[in-house]
Amino acid sequence: MTKTLRLLGAGLVTALLVTSCGSSAGSSDDGVELKMVESLTNPARTAVLKGLIEDFEAANPGTTVDLISPPTNSADQKIQQMLQSKKGIDVLEVRDTTVGPFTANGWLRDLAPDLKGWAGWADMTQQAVDYAQGEDGTWYIPYGFYGLSLFYRKDLVEKAGFAGPPASWDELLQQASAIQDPDAGTYGYAFRGGTNGNGNLVTAIEAYVADDLDKANAFKTTDGKSIFAAPEALTAAQTYFDLFEKASPPSSVAWGYPEMVEGFSNGSTAFLLQDPEVIATVGQSTAIKPDQWGTAPLLVGPTGKAAQPVATAGWGMSASTEHAAEATKLIEFLSSGEASTTFTKENSLVPILTSAASDPYYSEGPWASYVTMTNAPDTYLSVIQPRNVDWWTEWTQKADGDVQRVITGDMTPAELLAGWDAYWVEKWAAA
Amino acid sequence: MIFRETVPARVTRVAFLGLWLVITLFPLYWITVTSLKAPGDIFSQPLTYWPTALTLENYAGLFAQSDFGVFVANSLLVSLVGATVATLISLLSGYVLARFEFRSKGVLLAAFFVTQMVPSFIALGPLYLMMTKLGLVDSRLGLILVYIGICIPFCTVMLRGFFANVPDALEEAAMIDGCSRLGALFRVIVPVMMPGIIASFIFNFVNCWNELFLSVTLINSTENQTIPTAINGFISSFNVEWGPMAAAAVLTVVPTMLLFAVASRWIVQGLTAGAVKG
Amino acid sequence: MGGRVTTPETIARRPAAGPRPGSGRGAAPRRAFTGRRALTILAFLAPAAVFVGIFTYYPLLTGAQMAFRDWNLSNFTDASWVGLDNFRTVLHDPVLPGVLRNTVIWVVGSLVPQFVIGFAIALWLRRHFRFRGLYQALIFYPWAVSGFLIGILFRWMFNGEFGVVNDLLEKVGLIDSPVPWLAQPSTAMVAVLIANIWYGVTFFAIMILAALQSVPDEILEAAALDGAGRTRTLLQIVVPYIRITLTVTVLLRVIWIFNFPDIIYGMTGGGPADKTHIVTTWLIQVTQRGDYGVAAAIGLMVLVVLLMFSVFYLLALRERGVKR
Repeated sequence: MTKTLRLLGAGLVTALLVTSCGSSAGSSDDGVELKMVESLTNPARTAVLKGLIEDFEAANPGTTVDLISPPTNSADQKIQQMLQSKKGIDVLEVRDTTVGPFTANGWLRDLAPDLKGWAGWADMTQQAVDYAQGEDGTWYIPYGFYGLSLFYRKDLVEKAGFAGPPASWDELLQQASAIQDPDAGTYGYAFRGGTNGNGNLVTAIEAYVADDLDKANAFKTTDGKSIFAAPEALTAAQTYFDLFEKASPPSSVAWGYPEMVEGFSNGSTAFLLQDPEVIATVGQSTAIKPDQWGTAPLLVGPTGKAAQPVATAGWGMSASTEHAAEATKLIEFLSSGEASTTFTKENSLVPILTSAASDPYYSEGPWASYVTMTNAPDTYLSVIQPRNVDWWTEWTQKADGDVQRVITGDMTPAELLAGWDAYWVEKWAAA
Repeated sequence: MIFRETVPARVTRVAFLGLWLVITLFPLYWITVTSLKAPGDIFSQPLTYWPTALTLENYAGLFAQSDFGVFVANSLLVSLVGATVATLISLLSGYVLARFEFRSKGVLLAAFFVTQMVPSFIALGPLYLMMTKLGLVDSRLGLILVYIGICIPFCTVMLRGFFANVPDALEEAAMIDGCSRLGALFRVIVPVMMPGIIASFIFNFVNCWNELFLSVTLINSTENQTIPTAINGFISSFNVEWGPMAAAAVLTVVPTMLLFAVASRWIVQGLTAGAVKG
Repeated sequence: MGGRVTTPETIARRPAAGPRPGSGRGAAPRRAFTGRRALTILAFLAPAAVFVGIFTYYPLLTGAQMAFRDWNLSNFTDASWVGLDNFRTVLHDPVLPGVLRNTVIWVVGSLVPQFVIGFAIALWLRRHFRFRGLYQALIFYPWAVSGFLIGILFRWMFNGEFGVVNDLLEKVGLIDSPVPWLAQPSTAMVAVLIANIWYGVTFFAIMILAALQSVPDEILEAAALDGAGRTRTLLQIVVPYIRITLTVTVLLRVIWIFNFPDIIYGMTGGGPADKTHIVTTWLIQVTQRGDYGVAAAIGLMVLVVLLMFSVFYLLALRERGVKR
């Protein structure tokens, strides 16, 4: 028995030695190691990012970059902990939803002085520059923009007897209901009832009130009231919830991003409203072939208009960094030239560089609908939602809960809208 | 027991135990079958309970797409070291709490008990900050230290129960023979209590092996991740791929299942010794 | 009825009350608190105290004080003290009543079936049969699977479109069309409970089996000689004999189930429409939106509730023990 114990003890000491040697030592002798953290992690994107980092390291001898890729669902919390501890983080992915809280705590470095006179500004679209250079500072450089389009199954739409994809929310409801056939395992619409399920409902409401929408704050109408108080909002909400009732898989009550995308790419649903990055994922699907699906522009409301909410994220720097010069170089590298083009193409993002306008890649296949939208700015309004407010996460949790309450019969659409209106009116009054 | 079993009783017993065996094993069977199906077959209707084409594609994919081998090694290391140290330390504290009467004993036991009642979630933020200051964030050593702290309270109470059932005449005799108290503990009592110690160790091992929230908080880089953290990553990264996911689940469950299968006799034996006193 | 014979209770009491061989209770050396003895105690307790103090208590206490400060995502730098504001926020949250109800359903709905099935298995396993060791080895494994993984496993099996549960139920003829288990408020809680019962039976089975094996055969033989029936032997001899194990096991399980968000987190995340939110999954949600002060307040309230429960539970049982 003592022998066993001695053996155990010896093993233990060895193991402890192994672990203590195994932990990384931080920066190497004379070079600089930058710690970089991403937030919207997915395996394919991480691979692309690692490739770009290798290029950067090759061009900047002496600087190495250690990329940390926490799982998406806890990434922002992890980033926040790292920022708070003021250690181990130099460059980070800042989202339009996290920039508010991060700057409120003074955790982000204002990049304006670092990037003064940077040549890269000239190559960026006006939208990207506007987002980078905020009123109170330059907190991050967007790497691309997200925007919704309708992914649809050409074969199913045709089989149901329709000439083309739906253009409006009403047509979507009509087509999706026609396609829905639970016994065959085919469903109309990949409904988002789980995390961030409120987003598509808000988009529908914005399309219905598009004529009176305040573009700078797309939760308000031009008369200063909340969009949720508008009478059209109720029609929008009813149409939207009808989609769930008549044309969606029952389990989509709990669907978040991964399940929706999965539901479309495994061939069980005919329509999916999503960001362009899904183009890459669906392209890899083994269940549906490239000629079976396409994209269509965002759905319009009764007056023929749609509101495209701008969503973005980008690269920023922590206020605690000790390697600001190297970190600036990395951010510049990722935000310009080949690196930026590669990143936006591989992840299917709306690009930040003006040069993309002449790139045939962005006018073909699934991208065509984005070109259509860009070329018709009066039909597809580009609007800004108040995503940078401190209470955004609180709002999305509340709103997601309410969406689930309506589809599970605990709440009526009218009650939901009244609650949302009251919520924002109160927040705006307090702010 | 000593009663003769009537026929209906026997039928009930066999039927119930058989049913429960099926219920217990079915999820494992199902996830294994899922992991052996080709990606396209997983979503095909009707469901196949015995796939005609078995493939290891998902396992290959798992190891190709991620450093799963590294995660397994990390989990093994963290769990083995954490559980061993925690058991050794708890042996000491459990022994003292069983053998000695002293004033602050009740307070100490209560303090151990309270750790089981507070949701650990409220401690995650402060823990991260503390570990940063100690330079132990994103390190397996740091994770091991935290796991030891987590395991000790329950393990101590459990071992205390086992000590209480070992006559103290044993170590007194050894001490008269010239052993130190520590010597007496390890030479005389530990061998007698081995099943109980194994039970405690396995309890600790399983807790460390399965722990999710602390490792998600404290580990940043991929090369330091444990299996639960990695699986959490799979499920939340953009597409839930059930195939590789199922493969990962099988590979996670099997080691602890084997450990349990091998040790189940000792576990019951060990707990039996400590049972009456709880 | 049973008063004629030596009552089973006295039989059951005898070994516990008498000086059992190997009993350490009361036998602790009653020496004076000498320096050497104090040193031994300190030295043996020090490692445990250091680890638990640094890695458990320090973060817990630091976290607990956040409950009294205005600590949230946009306010880390100098969070002011706000007294009991966070507790008020918790009590006024419209989600709270539902969460409390779910927590009670979760604890009771998991505990009772776990206990009953676990007890039955333990009883039946006490009788020797061929392959008993193998059987035991096979059915004990759920305990070794992580709660999060169980959540994912069962989420897959309860999947509304491709789930095996629906398929099996349809084959047996219990349902006509697939049930979206996790998406329906009426069934989501049932599904998470089934997963938790599946997981927790083992723990009871192991603990109770171990306790049952500590019941000396002589006691049972004596009862049989006295003509006590099977059920009576069980209720009046066996149960009282293993009472302490049962008490402690149930108490521990209540605390653990209460504090066990993993399965729900993996299966439903608290949805749909908060229908499976228990206190601890709610706490996770509040943490994720960055309301750390409120989260800490919820954590402290959990502690208080569980402490009060433990005290009352132990007192109530002691009272009953004395009366008997």
